[in-house]
Amino acid sequence: MTDFGFLADDGIVDALLMEVAGLLHRLIERGEAGSIDLRGLPLSDACIATLEQRLGRGEVAVTLTAAGRSDIHETGFPGVWWTKHEDEAGRIIALLIEVAIVPGILCADVDDIKRGLDRLPGSTNFSRRAA
Amino acid sequence: MDETLGEMLARRGFGRRSLLKFAIAMTSSLALPPMIAPVMAANLAKAKRRSVIWLSFQECTGCLETLLRSSAPTIDALIFDFISLDYQESLMAAAGADAERTLHEAVAANKGEYLLAIDGSIPVKDGGVYSLTGGRSNVSMLSDIAADAKAILAIGTCAAYGGIPKAWPNPTGAVGVEDLIEGKPIVNIPGCPPVPEVLSGVLVHFISFGRLPDLDDRKRPLAYFGTTIHDQCYRRPFYDQGKFAKSFDDEGARQGWCLFELGCKGPVTHNACASLKWNGGTSFPIESGHGCIGCSEPDFWDAGGFYTSLAGGSSAGWRNTGIALGVGVAGGIAAALSGRSKAT
Repeated sequence: MTDFGFLADDGIVDALLMEVAGLLHRLIERGEAGSIDLRGLPLSDACIATLEQRLGRGEVAVTLTAAGRSDIHETGFPGVWWTKHEDEAGRIIALLIEVAIVPGILCADVDDIKRGLDRLPGSTNFSRRAA
Repeated sequence: MDETLGEMLARRGFGRRSLLKFAIAMTSSLALPPMIAPVMAANLAKAKRRSVIWLSFQECTGCLETLLRSSAPTIDALIFDFISLDYQESLMAAAGADAERTLHEAVAANKGEYLLAIDGSIPVKDGGVYSLTGGRSNVSMLSDIAADAKAILAIGTCAAYGGIPKAWPNPTGAVGVEDLIEGKPIVNIPGCPPVPEVLSGVLVHFISFGRLPDLDDRKRPLAYFGTTIHDQCYRRPFYDQGKFAKSFDDEGARQGWCLFELGCKGPVTHNACASLKWNGGTSFPIESGHGCIGCSEPDFWDAGGFYTSLAGGSSAGWRNTGIALGVGVAGGIAAALSGRSKAT
């Protein structure tokens, strides 16, 4: 398929970066996380590559293995995360710019924690002592 | 069965992150704000199995085939596991009187709560004698089973609008579900066949939020049918530049130029083919070099030849008729941004 590189114009990328700036303001002032669904926008591959390049890479990179691989890294702008989710066949099912202290999917779920605890040897005894 | 979806996933070794990831993908697919995903995941985790009764009327089984052969990720497949498909004539083992008994038992056990899925049009001419199941006309079955349904999914262009059976001269008097049923929530998922991911999106939305997604004026899910194929087409820049293939083997075709003059109906066809694509996101007809035939629109079979341009000749003439295609790429980006980027 032809890649329409000419569509990677800076105007579109600048508009998205302004959106990111707005979300960062919201995070700082109200503590509210936000995100931009890149697959929901009519962006060419070249445009997405330009956007990723202009955001750069920061200090954190995480690989998640849950129903397929996910790659999450902090961009060069703290609090701005580049998140790519794939299914088990390696197809991209979501591509997001997340603006958050930490992307929610990285946080352990309380019910999962409880199930994990149940698998640890001696967890019952600990529960008894705690009670 | 009282097990929730969250419990079932945990039993099968999936953590909550898998469900959240699935919800993130589905909110993207449904054009919901990304920050809705945690809510959707929480609701899905608490959801219980829902009965689906599927009736096939005047159809070719293409809709069922495409849905069965969709290449869905594992969690998606589990969502379908979570639908109790209590009656589907082509898939169920039972036949004859046993099958009919199964249908009536499913209706009685899930009265007012089951989803009714329909594929195929309903012939009403001559008392509906042109399509019978167990000696009963389709229109009679639809009337009875729809009465106690929570909502109705009209799957495929035939069920939605009458489709090919309704094409001139429509010898059986074929109509779509919405022509016969009033007072029930109906969602049309047209396409010949429909995009399978649209059905899974509608089901997930219903399970998560207890209601159908927002619909357009033809009762189609807005998230998937809100724009035309043309709006989302990767060849759209060539249309804007006035570069058109003139035949299927000319230099323009080889360069991937716009297929408008070869009869592409993308500008007037609402569907998600250009964004979701087919065969696990591999491609869609225009990407394979053939124009859109407009199969998800009412009366598409009678809407002129598949190889006759909407202009009846050249694109320039058509564009001069004043039909608005939208505001172009820049406007589309701006509109999409406002809808897609949301904070909690």
